[in-house]
Amino acid sequence: MIELDRATKVFPGTAAPAVDALTLDVPAGEIVVLVGPSGCGKTTTLKMINRIVEPTGGTIRVDGVDVRRQEPHVLRRNIGYVIQQVGLFPHRTIARNIATVPRLLGWDADRTTARVDELMVTMGLDPDMGARYPSELSGGQRQRVGVARALAADPPVLLMDEPFGAVDPIVRGRLQGELLDLQARLRKTIVFVTHDIDEALRLGDRIAILNVGGRLEQYATPEEILREPATPFVEEFLGGERGLRRLALRTVGDLGDLGIGNCVQADATVEEAKRRAAESGERWIGILDGDRLRGWAWVSDLDGSRHAGDVDTTLFRVALSVDATLREAIDGLVRSRVGVAVVLGEDQRYEGMVTLDRLAQAIVS
Amino acid sequence: MTGLLAQASGGIRWSWITANLDDIWEATVEHLWLTGIAMVVGFAIAMVLSVAAIRYRRLYGPITATAGVIFTIPSFALFFVLAPFTGLTVLTAEIGLVLYTLLVLVRNTVAGLDGVPEDVKEAARGMGYTRNRLFLEIELPLAIPVIIAGLRIATVTTVGLVTITALITFGGLGRFIIDGLQQNLFVPKLVVGALGPTLLALALDGLLLLLQRAITPWSRRAAAL
Repeated sequence: MIELDRATKVFPGTAAPAVDALTLDVPAGEIVVLVGPSGCGKTTTLKMINRIVEPTGGTIRVDGVDVRRQEPHVLRRNIGYVIQQVGLFPHRTIARNIATVPRLLGWDADRTTARVDELMVTMGLDPDMGARYPSELSGGQRQRVGVARALAADPPVLLMDEPFGAVDPIVRGRLQGELLDLQARLRKTIVFVTHDIDEALRLGDRIAILNVGGRLEQYATPEEILREPATPFVEEFLGGERGLRRLALRTVGDLGDLGIGNCVQADATVEEAKRRAAESGERWIGILDGDRLRGWAWVSDLDGSRHAGDVDTTLFRVALSVDATLREAIDGLVRSRVGVAVVLGEDQRYEGMVTLDRLAQAIVS
Repeated sequence: MTGLLAQASGGIRWSWITANLDDIWEATVEHLWLTGIAMVVGFAIAMVLSVAAIRYRRLYGPITATAGVIFTIPSFALFFVLAPFTGLTVLTAEIGLVLYTLLVLVRNTVAGLDGVPEDVKEAARGMGYTRNRLFLEIELPLAIPVIIAGLRIATVTTVGLVTITALITFGGLGRFIIDGLQQNLFVPKLVVGALGPTLLALALDGLLLLLQRAITPWSRRAAAL
């Protein structure tokens, strides 16, 4: 979708190129993250795609067409653009800000209004917000408006330059999650610049790790990069705990069917419960009411009762959703008194338990 | 001096004001016209100079330096330097008045346009604004509060200077001061000549402030937060 072919930028008055003959293919419908230390040319690379920075060498094609064969303003109206400071127009309401590109393209008023309303819903913005001015919004809200504005004319390509760099970590995490949800539905071709390797690992379908001067050190999926860093630079840039961070790329749902785990139904006999616990090699047993997990009890407390459900149970302290990462599952295991992390699906339905054995299998495979 | 003594003994004839309201009104309208023409012409020239200074940075220094030098010339001196060429006419008065507005207007317009945040301009370019539309739809509207601040200062100054141009044109409220001085310090005329322009300046300043609030609702809401 976007092809950089030996793209080069030498700024006037500097000897060394900011980006030196960078070749990179961005496949349609994927998020490609450009990441690297400051001075690595990641932002320059991004800005060459919409010609905010004019390349001095090589070729850049968007959807097969050389960007230099189009008028810059025509090219840019077909490419969504989000920057760190957002750059909302302070003198225009939120609705007018979002309507920017449709108006530049000459859409009629009805179509523009309908599109703005639709995007406000998509981005989780309160409809009342449309009449407000940017100065009346929080940082996270402004960034959502910035994304809505970039998406307004439904461009196939989105360029995002450290879009979540200026918000606090909690909001950043939420915005990252929202971007992934959005991308699951819209399937845009996104080039995303960040200096934060964890953001790159979370968002990228592929990651391009750049070194100073725009030299490409490695271009691969997050999983590949963590498993096999191509160069010492990449290894150093990734930092420690690569194993744990690989676990962060996979979810509990990826483990497949977890089975019933070390549990029995409340109406099971005490003998059945003891047998189940013995098979699991545990001194406790989980008690289920249908598809609800009631809690757990020590096997030794079962004596003297007829059914497993007759004894008092203790609640499980840690419950994960199917979307939780395997890294979160490990954290759950560590914090649990009985060494398992319970997985709950929709409406708190019991989905199974993650054990250390199960995780170990997943890591090896 | 006898007139002053007479007034002192017999009281000031304030009734002159109520008896001559028509004259005062006429002079006020004239004063407004002289001010308005100077402001409109001055603003138009200042906009051209400001845009030139923004597009071609190296012009900014010479433009403001020249306007600054003109600004330091005493108004009396300026008018009498111009008089031999254009006579004791309204044109002479207006040339002087326009020249005096330029420094403040150019400085504020350039400052206003310079103050438009870089990220706003980059976002606009990135979304496909052409240079002209960027200027008209983004940069200029955002510069309005600073430009109007300049207009307010220039207007107040001009209203005051128009009073002085009565020496050349015998128009506007300033002529009551000239009359009053010639008629042995006839106090009611002096008061009208001095107080009139002051009230006029305050009124115009207030109107411009209201205008700014009306056309930049976004800046007021931002300030309220």
